[in-house]
Amino acid sequence: MISDIYDTTAKAKQLYLDPRTKIFLCLTVSSVMLAPSDSPMIDAIKLLFAILPLVFLIVLKKYKMALYYLGMYVFSSLVPKLLIPYLPNIVNLLFTGMIALFTQILPGMMMGYFLIVSTTVSEFVAAMDRMHVTKKISMPFSVLFRFFPTIIEEYGHVRDAMMMREVGSIRHPMKMLEYRMVPFLTSIVSIGNDLAASALTRGLNAPIKRTNVCPIGFTWRDGIAFFATICCLIVYIIYR
Amino acid sequence: MIQLNQVNFVYHNARSDVGVHHINLHIPKGQVVLLCGSSGCGKTTLSRMINGLIPNFYEGTLSGEITVCGRDTKNSELYELTPFVGSVFQNPKSQFYTVQTDSEIVFACENIGMEKAQIYQRFEDIVDKLNLTPLLGKSLFALSGGQKQKIACASVATLFPQILVMDEPSSNLDIAAIHELAGIIKQWKDAGCTIVIAEHRLYWLMDIVDRVIYVKNGRIDQDISIQEFLAIPADTLASMGLRARTISFDKLSALPAKNTEMIDFKDFSFAYDKEKNLDILSLSIPCGSVVAVIGKNGAGKSTFGRCMCGLEKKARGTMTFCGRNLSWKARINTCYLVMQDVNHQLFTESVLDEILLSMEKSHDEAHAKKEKALQILASLNLDHYQDVHPMSLSGGQKQRVSVACALASNKQILVYDEPTSGLDYARMIDVAEAIKNMQAKGKTQFIITHDPELIKQCCDYLVLIEDGRIIASGWLQSALVDRMNDFFMA
Repeated sequence: MISDIYDTTAKAKQLYLDPRTKIFLCLTVSSVMLAPSDSPMIDAIKLLFAILPLVFLIVLKKYKMALYYLGMYVFSSLVPKLLIPYLPNIVNLLFTGMIALFTQILPGMMMGYFLIVSTTVSEFVAAMDRMHVTKKISMPFSVLFRFFPTIIEEYGHVRDAMMMREVGSIRHPMKMLEYRMVPFLTSIVSIGNDLAASALTRGLNAPIKRTNVCPIGFTWRDGIAFFATICCLIVYIIYR
Repeated sequence: MIQLNQVNFVYHNARSDVGVHHINLHIPKGQVVLLCGSSGCGKTTLSRMINGLIPNFYEGTLSGEITVCGRDTKNSELYELTPFVGSVFQNPKSQFYTVQTDSEIVFACENIGMEKAQIYQRFEDIVDKLNLTPLLGKSLFALSGGQKQKIACASVATLFPQILVMDEPSSNLDIAAIHELAGIIKQWKDAGCTIVIAEHRLYWLMDIVDRVIYVKNGRIDQDISIQEFLAIPADTLASMGLRARTISFDKLSALPAKNTEMIDFKDFSFAYDKEKNLDILSLSIPCGSVVAVIGKNGAGKSTFGRCMCGLEKKARGTMTFCGRNLSWKARINTCYLVMQDVNHQLFTESVLDEILLSMEKSHDEAHAKKEKALQILASLNLDHYQDVHPMSLSGGQKQRVSVACALASNKQILVYDEPTSGLDYARMIDVAEAIKNMQAKGKTQFIITHDPELIKQCCDYLVLIEDGRIIASGWLQSALVDRMNDFFMA
């Protein structure tokens, strides 16, 4: 029988990496990108980290999104530099500055996105178990992986409902927020409640060592990823 | 197997009459028991006592003794009951924890720490028994309600539990999925499992269950064998608030007065899936009729409704209403979709505000608006609830509020997506009455449904959709009634 549960190694779907490597990459990229840069060496590392999501997008075969990412990154890193000298300070502070800041947040956000789309709930739980993280911590996080698609689904329903009722025009932003958030939160809470009941009847909180059938484990690819990232980190610390 | 002695339970933060009282019940091994009764009668509460969710998850005051498989549920944790009791719930979309079918099937086994080799063996066994091969490797978000429910069954079945508790498992399923579910339950029955099913729809269970327990106001009112239950006359059944035991349709006694005004669809198409698309060459519906839109899950019924209401901007083709061609914007102004999950559609803090919100665009004076709103509420028997928060209403009442909003914004075409899923007999009749009431006001209504009883109550026109195409349409007369009988019996 062909099924994912028989896989023994990480595939393209998982970016060929162990979830722990992905968590490490995600944390490193988002923190280094946010740090201030004052030397060309650090700028180079930042550029490397910004290219990383692009590579991952290509591995996942999301070419369209790769193009968007490239466009957005180039736009937000070049445009402010070219415009700032010609615009009044107040505009720079409010808009151009924000766009510049976006350059630093975007790669981190993308890494978070990869972590979520390329890791299944079971893989994440398995990784947490290997690191001896208690269920009290790993369970709430694991639900997140399932909740992102749910949130998108429910948000679409609420948008349809608002369209149907012809309410919530942009002219009344507070009302619009209320009409959007109240039904949305109500349904999210009720789904969460049902989900908890169903998971608990299937032994989610059993204080037993969980069996994990999904394949996780470090390979040479993880080794390279760790080695390269740690090198970058060392360079960063030296030149800081 | 299951023993309840003098059990009382009242939920915390609930009205004092919500709960169950003086329950004495013994269910022997291998018996299949149906819990029935109107909404809020306590049958779900009873099922939660058996699977241990009461008192371990839902909090309240419990007295008496509950023993399941020789264990006192009060002093057992939920995970201790997991290997013995499997639970399947009402809503397919909120009962899977992982995102993928394969890992969901083995989820419970992993949780209780079963050996890896044994998990693989159980996985193969269940996939084989329940015919799940086509569903493997898929995202659960991409499955239909029926497919999700099948995976939910598989996920509990891998533990080979001795007891199965199902809480309204069919309410979101189409007729084909219900047949499959019935097949799964029969397999469990043959394997000697004890099964408890709380359910509104009865017809699919009549050849499966051994015993029927009728719950009323939190008490066991009747505890009879299936033979005795089948002997109850149909009208007594209706007065007990129960759904019908069989499905059958009658022909329209007389054709409705000929209406020359029509809603016409021409080359109406929309691609809603990579492989599937809605494609209606030509369809004419007489204005003022109540149209039952039927078809299998994924046939394109809901997409048809969404395109008609202007929720899909990219729908191609024309829709003409009384000679007027409707653009997608005009469709939003003319049509109204009563959504399956009506909670999404209610935004304000009182029923009256809800109606007034729909009138914001009209240029009437404030007091004239209020008067009109009150009139609409009265016509739908909602005038007692004008100051009530919409979220505190029952499902059927919420639906009526949503319909009232459509009336207030003066929409001419109403589309209902599964208006009676999970409703008991009385509430289904309420919905049917509201629909007839709208018909009297001259509205044209489309009812996307899997509920044969609702169709029987109020529909007079039929549209049968298969693979995005209309394969039959017309007044519910002899040929089409036969067609519909075939559809629901198959």
